Amino acid sequence: MARGNPIDSVKGFGVTFKQIFKKPITQQYPEYKRPVYPRFRGRHRLHVHENGLEKCVGCSLCAAACPADCIRVVAAENTADNRVSAGERYARIYEINMSRCIFCGYCELACPFDAITLGNEYEISEYSRDDLIYTKDMLLAEPIKKVPVADRDLYDTPIPYYQEHS
Amino acid sequence: MAIRELTLAHAGERDLSKLAEYQAIGGYKALAKARKMKPEAVVEQLLASNLRGRGGAGFPMGRKASFLAKGTGKPTYLCVNADESEPGTFKDREIMLLNPHRLIEGCLVTAHAIESQNVFIYLRGEYLDVFEVMRRALEDARKAGLMGDVTIVLHRGAGAYICGEESALLESLEGKRGQPRPRPPFPAVSGLYGSPTLINNVQTIATVPVIVEKGGEWYAKIGPEPSPGTVVFSLSGNVERPGNYELLLGSGLRELIYDLGGGIPDGRELKAIIPGGSSTTVMTPDQLDTDLDFNSVAEAGSQLGAAAVIVIDDRACMVQLALRSTQFYMHESCGKCTPCREGTRWMVQLLQKLEDGRAEQSELDLLLSVCDRVLGKCLCALGDFAAGPVVEYVRNFRDEFQRHIDEGGCPFGGESSLEGTFAPVDQHTHAPVAEVPA
Amino acid sequence: MSATELVTVTVDGREVHVPPGTGLVETALAAGVEIPVFCYEPRLGAAVGACRMCLCEIEGMPKLQAACTLTATNGMIVRTAQTSERAAEGQEATLEFILVNHPLDCPVCDKGGECPLQDLTFRWGPGNTRMTFPKRTFEKPIPISPAIALDRERCILCYRCTRFSESVAEDGQLVALNRGAESVIATFEDEPYLAPFSGNVIELCPVGALTSTQYRFEARPWEIQNVPTVCGLCPVGCNIQATTREGKVKRILSRNHPEVDEGWLCDKGRFAFTHLRARDRIADPLRRVRRRGFDVLSWDDALGEAAELLMQAQGRIVTALSGSETVEQAYALGRLMRAGLGAHTGVLPEETSPALDAFRLPLSAIRDAELEPVAERAPIVELWVKAARRQGAQVEQAGDALEGCRRLADKRNALGKSLRESERAILIWSGEEGAGGAHLAALAKELGFAGKPASGAFHLPCTPNGRGIADAWAAASDDEGPNPEPIGLLFVSGDEAAADPNVRALAERAERVIVNAMFQGLAVGWADLVLPGTSYLERDGTYVNLEGRLQRLRRAVIPPAPDELAWISKLAERFAVEVSPHASAVFAEVSERIYDGLPFGEVGEEAPLRTRSEAPAPQLPSEPAAEGKGLRLVRYRPLFSGPAVERVPELQFQRPAPEVELSPGDAGRRGIAPGETVTVTHNGTSLQLRARITKSLREGIVRIAAEHAGELGGTVEVAK
Repeated sequence: MARGNPIDSVKGFGVTFKQIFKKPITQQYPEYKRPVYPRFRGRHRLHVHENGLEKCVGCSLCAAACPADCIRVVAAENTADNRVSAGERYARIYEINMSRCIFCGYCELACPFDAITLGNEYEISEYSRDDLIYTKDMLLAEPIKKVPVADRDLYDTPIPYYQEHS
Repeated sequence: MAIRELTLAHAGERDLSKLAEYQAIGGYKALAKARKMKPEAVVEQLLASNLRGRGGAGFPMGRKASFLAKGTGKPTYLCVNADESEPGTFKDREIMLLNPHRLIEGCLVTAHAIESQNVFIYLRGEYLDVFEVMRRALEDARKAGLMGDVTIVLHRGAGAYICGEESALLESLEGKRGQPRPRPPFPAVSGLYGSPTLINNVQTIATVPVIVEKGGEWYAKIGPEPSPGTVVFSLSGNVERPGNYELLLGSGLRELIYDLGGGIPDGRELKAIIPGGSSTTVMTPDQLDTDLDFNSVAEAGSQLGAAAVIVIDDRACMVQLALRSTQFYMHESCGKCTPCREGTRWMVQLLQKLEDGRAEQSELDLLLSVCDRVLGKCLCALGDFAAGPVVEYVRNFRDEFQRHIDEGGCPFGGESSLEGTFAPVDQHTHAPVAEVPA
Repeated sequence: MSATELVTVTVDGREVHVPPGTGLVETALAAGVEIPVFCYEPRLGAAVGACRMCLCEIEGMPKLQAACTLTATNGMIVRTAQTSERAAEGQEATLEFILVNHPLDCPVCDKGGECPLQDLTFRWGPGNTRMTFPKRTFEKPIPISPAIALDRERCILCYRCTRFSESVAEDGQLVALNRGAESVIATFEDEPYLAPFSGNVIELCPVGALTSTQYRFEARPWEIQNVPTVCGLCPVGCNIQATTREGKVKRILSRNHPEVDEGWLCDKGRFAFTHLRARDRIADPLRRVRRRGFDVLSWDDALGEAAELLMQAQGRIVTALSGSETVEQAYALGRLMRAGLGAHTGVLPEETSPALDAFRLPLSAIRDAELEPVAERAPIVELWVKAARRQGAQVEQAGDALEGCRRLADKRNALGKSLRESERAILIWSGEEGAGGAHLAALAKELGFAGKPASGAFHLPCTPNGRGIADAWAAASDDEGPNPEPIGLLFVSGDEAAADPNVRALAERAERVIVNAMFQGLAVGWADLVLPGTSYLERDGTYVNLEGRLQRLRRAVIPPAPDELAWISKLAERFAVEVSPHASAVFAEVSERIYDGLPFGEVGEEAPLRTRSEAPAPQLPSEPAAEGKGLRLVRYRPLFSGPAVERVPELQFQRPAPEVELSPGDAGRRGIAPGETVTVTHNGTSLQLRARITKSLREGIVRIAAEHAGELGGTVEVAK
């Protein structure tokens, strides 16, 4: 007759018991926010030239590239008294539906003018889904909350072209 | 080798623009003889003479005339290409100024041969004096009742080299933009107004009377067999005695330049020869002993073309020559087909950069690649005329091109004989730069 | 002997058999090989071989040849870029040269995403550029007309637009200036491109050089949906695609029905769709309230009000149809009025007649005809007539149509004799008083067209669907009734009817008026109840065009007000008549009665023309009594008129000026010079208009556009 050795159960408890004295590896968010890598794909940002003109010309390539179909672009013409972007046209309406976005970064790759990039912010929860549709003003502005980013020099991160050239 | 004058015979002694003078030396006898012959018989004589077109292509004229489509129910037309714009040629001008009636007689004989009642002479627009002479000669001929039932229209062009291309000439005559048509169909089948048309150069037509008068076989025996007859050579460039010389085909290049032309002035050395107008590829001094006929020049790697011999001595920078030549073709390109329109402009930009000494090594190869992409891909021959010579300039004078790159400038340092000949900047504005005098 | 021998051509190793004379590009396509082209467009005439994109190697020819200029001959061996390195290099060279000076505009260019240059560069072009020099620049964009913008930097000089202007539309306004590398496209003397077919160059241009200002920056090809439908602004019924984005129509493109429109659209059909969003568009039912104007009603209230008005009229109802309703709408209205209320009187702006069914032909037959007397002009039909003339047909202007018919019917008339002898003759009548084609049918019968399949006649009505409506209205009920006197209620259907002065005159005589219209401006002041209407772009249904072809309309966008069938069916319920609110079901009913049971789904994308049917043969009306002195006034509807066009800002420059057209003889006799202001009088009313001398006008006739003619009619007198 095979009889389970009661010592084995105690051995199991022992493993669990030992853990009480080990230091936990849980990172206590939000008191501790682990720094993200420099190329972490987070909230989008629309960029502006040094002279104040928007880089985005409303070409809608980001919308075409987006696998989640979450970008809506409606373009309009720059006029003499209302010059918004550097080209013939600008994005009159530019909306990204953050609840659909999968943060893949294809829009950043598709943009011919380096107008849209994915920044590092990930703290973008909202209470209502409607608030998750980011408009152009929200995307142009600096993000309200900031997250810690790891030091670039620690990693072999090439600096993207758009960050050094306007 | 002697000067043998058929087309320009007696032009030095008498004023052949006067009808009476022309008739005194036997003019319009060939016309009378031709009118008694059947049209097919005249074409036979042309075929027998083996006369090759003098406009540059060298196509046998008799064969061209026999290609004319028959029985289409449409009228046949004869067009005379007097739009002489090839750089280096000025022979048709001489023929029309000195011997207009020979051309008119040639027109009438050929019109009879192809049973045409309408002849169009498309004259280069800038030849104002030639226009006047031709007009008066036509008036005289008309008054003397020589026209028969043929109408000869003297039409002035408006300043386009491309209208010397046969299908562009027809388009221009029809009142449309002077751009070549795709061929086939050829003008012999569908030419002016969609009707069978024969187009020939002035000199070719001016040779017809003597063929009819003396017989095709007689003509075929003059000069070398594959290309018989005489050609008016326009000699220009760095020679003592530039001008028009009517010589037997097969005459030597050396004799033309050094004996008749008097050689290079100022004791300079011969550097290059262009045998048939700027569209033909350059020959070097070691090819001086080439005979001037269609086949011999072709064997030497060039083309006889329109028989315009341009002599270049060692004061000339070949890069500048290539640039000036390409600027001409860029300006004259009709713009219909993409390779010529864009390719000639790109070639000019590259050559300008080379001449200024700002070019990199790779851009010389780029120039050759562009030329290669233009050659053989255009709608008409203008693209080939622009790119072909440039390829040969680079091949024959590569070290000179290389010196421009290495030295960062033209080795002639502004002393080249071609300095100052480049198209002025506002050549392309097409707006009057100054008031046109009343 | 066999009818056509086929020839064998080998393309890239694949053998294919085609009729001799087929273009090489089509031959390669038959073999499954694509030869890229830019300037090749068979609808523009003979191939020019200008762009050199289609270079291939032909066995036996040393140089690369442009495939578009060649035709298939027996035993031809062709190697395209797919198997020949030389040809591939040639095509890459062409693209490289095009791109050398082409601006990097793709992100801002409207053509991006649907651009043949992009596609061909991707497939056949170089991967990078070797051009280091500054590209040539122009001022851009240049508006060559309020509807079209020209961008010279992007132009690749394929000459499609100039060839269209020269040899299809024959207006000669778009030309190429300068030569060689300086060539640019421009309008003649920098005048705006003023021609009824100018918009077609937008579709022809393979790059973004000629673009529509209406569509500028509106949408990208991946954001839109194309709805295949049929234009409802004129009786030709060109097949179109309505491009929609987010529920709005953004532009109209052609769908190319080879027999109807051959891929061309007139500017009205192309640019007038913005009337859908006109400012005075009605979305809610309105009821007139004295001294206050209009009150907005809910639909329930409106239908209740309508039902009351209809009942009060006690069957003395006249329905004024505008001619642009769909067949289903007309049938539904007919069921309501005729079966439900016993009101059998329907009024159309002009007569329709089935008489021409015996001489039915597709419009493309005009191009193949050899002899055509034409009474006047009309949109796309004009292009067909021009094509016929280019192919050698003899086109005669017959001037005054009715008189022309009588002259041609006369056995002694020379032209009439040629018509009798010809196998391919076509009669075209445009303009008023055609009795729906009955006169033309009588003439056609007289000239013996009945046995000739390639001969026929076209009557160009002024309503898009007049024939369909008349037939559907007739099919709605078998009973008949007298015209009501006095008129209890006038039901006006459609904006064209609301704008028609004859209908207004009827409204004066009616006790009450209900108007179903899209635009408020037309109905204010004289309607008791206004029900909002829809446009042809917002309806599902069928139209019958001037050929007699049944074509399917599709709803491109949802209208702001419910579709007419929806509320007609609700109204009909109240009068115990069953009408379905769905177009397919209504069509099923109509089709049983008049279209031989053709199912709705089979009306088809490229609708066929039904075969000729026998029709009663009318007689030509006899000569009317002489009308007295003076000039006969012909009121005509110019192409760019109508309530839709009036609300499109881009088309205002095409609207007709207030002019009266005179023949040179009449003008000379009255001492009138072109451009002078003259007074035109008739029966006491007079108008001031500008005089215009038209050489081709016959003496004794003057023409005024209907919108400027006011109350004039009959014979008029013109004086300085």
